[in-house]
Amino acid sequence: MWLRRDKSISVLISTIFLFLIAHGAVLAATVRFVDKEGNTLAEVEYTRYQQEVYIPVEELNDIFKSDISPLYNRPRKQLTINLKEKELVLLMGKTTVKNTEDNQTYTLSIPPRAIDGNPMLPIVFFTEILPSIDDVDVLYNPNLQRIRFMPKTAWIPDPDDETQEWTIVIDPGHGGQEDIGCKAQSGLLEKDVVLKVAREIQKLSKQYGYKIHLTRESDVEKTRIQRVQSSNRNRGDLFISLHCNASFSKKQNGMHIFINNPNGLLRFRTMAMPSLGQNKLNLRTQSNFLTQSKEFGIVLQREMNFITEKPIPITELPLITLEEIYMPAILIELGYLTNDNDATLLSDRNHIRELATAIARAINTYRMKTSQSSDVTDAVQED
Amino acid sequence: MSLVRRVLLSRLFLIWGFTLVAIIISLAVTLLLIAKSKQTEISQAPPKLPKTPNDSDERHQTEQINIFLLDTESLEVKPIKVEVQLSRDPIDRLKSIVDTLTKETPTNYRNPIPRGTVLNEAFIDTKKTVYLDFSHHLTSGHIGGTTAEYMTISAILKTVFDNFPDEIRYIQLLVDGQEIEALTGHVNLSAPMQF
Repeated sequence: MWLRRDKSISVLISTIFLFLIAHGAVLAATVRFVDKEGNTLAEVEYTRYQQEVYIPVEELNDIFKSDISPLYNRPRKQLTINLKEKELVLLMGKTTVKNTEDNQTYTLSIPPRAIDGNPMLPIVFFTEILPSIDDVDVLYNPNLQRIRFMPKTAWIPDPDDETQEWTIVIDPGHGGQEDIGCKAQSGLLEKDVVLKVAREIQKLSKQYGYKIHLTRESDVEKTRIQRVQSSNRNRGDLFISLHCNASFSKKQNGMHIFINNPNGLLRFRTMAMPSLGQNKLNLRTQSNFLTQSKEFGIVLQREMNFITEKPIPITELPLITLEEIYMPAILIELGYLTNDNDATLLSDRNHIRELATAIARAINTYRMKTSQSSDVTDAVQED
Repeated sequence: MSLVRRVLLSRLFLIWGFTLVAIIISLAVTLLLIAKSKQTEISQAPPKLPKTPNDSDERHQTEQINIFLLDTESLEVKPIKVEVQLSRDPIDRLKSIVDTLTKETPTNYRNPIPRGTVLNEAFIDTKKTVYLDFSHHLTSGHIGGTTAEYMTISAILKTVFDNFPDEIRYIQLLVDGQEIEALTGHVNLSAPMQF
């Protein structure tokens, strides 16, 4: 009897365990739609068909929080949806999308499909069609299955207005034969990773319209003072120091944003003037930009959170790298070279591009924010 | 008269002889007085106190202290208790505690002090600021990265502040007698600091 009872208990436990695994698997197969702040709008189950991700049409109501009224004509395999005051007509298996309001047509790279008789939209519908019919930018992260809707923010500088020209200083940490930075077990070096990311940001800067100044353009050693001098001389508007992290535990992973604050987690002795003694130059320190640096840190954190599963912390510490930088500044650790997964990611060209894109977007968002707040200030002064 | 007898009876010999005898006598008297004064001191000293477990006249005694290491589960710098022979002299105690920190690595912990690091010297000033002078291994043997630097600094600062809560307010790290900007170029170490 006892044996039978034990057996039934173990069957019950196994059933619960299997249910939990199955439940977890279902939960994992979802796409999360988030707003510009990273807040979840909807979490939608998806279906994979020929390696592509498809979303059921009826989920659009939940995603857009409005009545999309999808009409599906089964015999003709034609789907009509009312989205953003536009009537879109799609044919299953065809890449053309027609806007009946103005007879405009758009082309999808992957066609919609009827899977098990139900009309499904490919994920590219959001990234390729939505920005054309609405004032919205859509970002898709295939690694995390995350889609982000943001208002169109591309800042286009006025060529006649020099004050709008922004210079961003990108500081790829370390460099040269002596200062290699951290090292992965695979032999990957911090100085090489950060230089690659810096160059990618430089490439992307053209589309956003800001100037980039790199504190080092190749694998050369630059002293801290040289970096400070070239950054301040170039009158940068924002300073981003790129680094890779290390830990005494191989388990530790993820990105980390640091802000220079002499009264952060570690605090200097009162009246102690870190670096350069009593020199007057000390007045031109990073402390003057603490608020702006924090603001940019939050913007960057939001952008970087979109490309990583693990939330990115912001920590305030006294940092020698940023101490004498006379502009808003942050230091970002792009991942741990002592962690095998992070090291593999940092050796992947696509991930490097993803990191650079997120940083470039953060710069642009911060630029927009600063420009809007200065416009408000100007308006108040004019009144 | 032979030459020897003439020398022995000369006035110069007599003067030197008497001087020598006088010096010997005065030395003997001085030594006697010193010996007597010592005897007096000993006889006036208070009787020795009975030995107690907390008050030993030995130079070192075993004590339980906290040192801070990286817990591999929580990935935080946490205290662990170790037994160590400590002197009563504060600077010697400080040196022994920091020495222990550089050497101990129990299971499930990682030591964030680079291997080979030795504490060369420790000084304290009137403002309760301690200067810990380490060997070059602290910087040259460090793995780098902002987080790893902060772990190393935390382990040292937390260990010292935990064992000297009233005596020490700030700590500055030195390497081979020189001030340093950072361990590997991130966290600012150019001035004395605290948490």
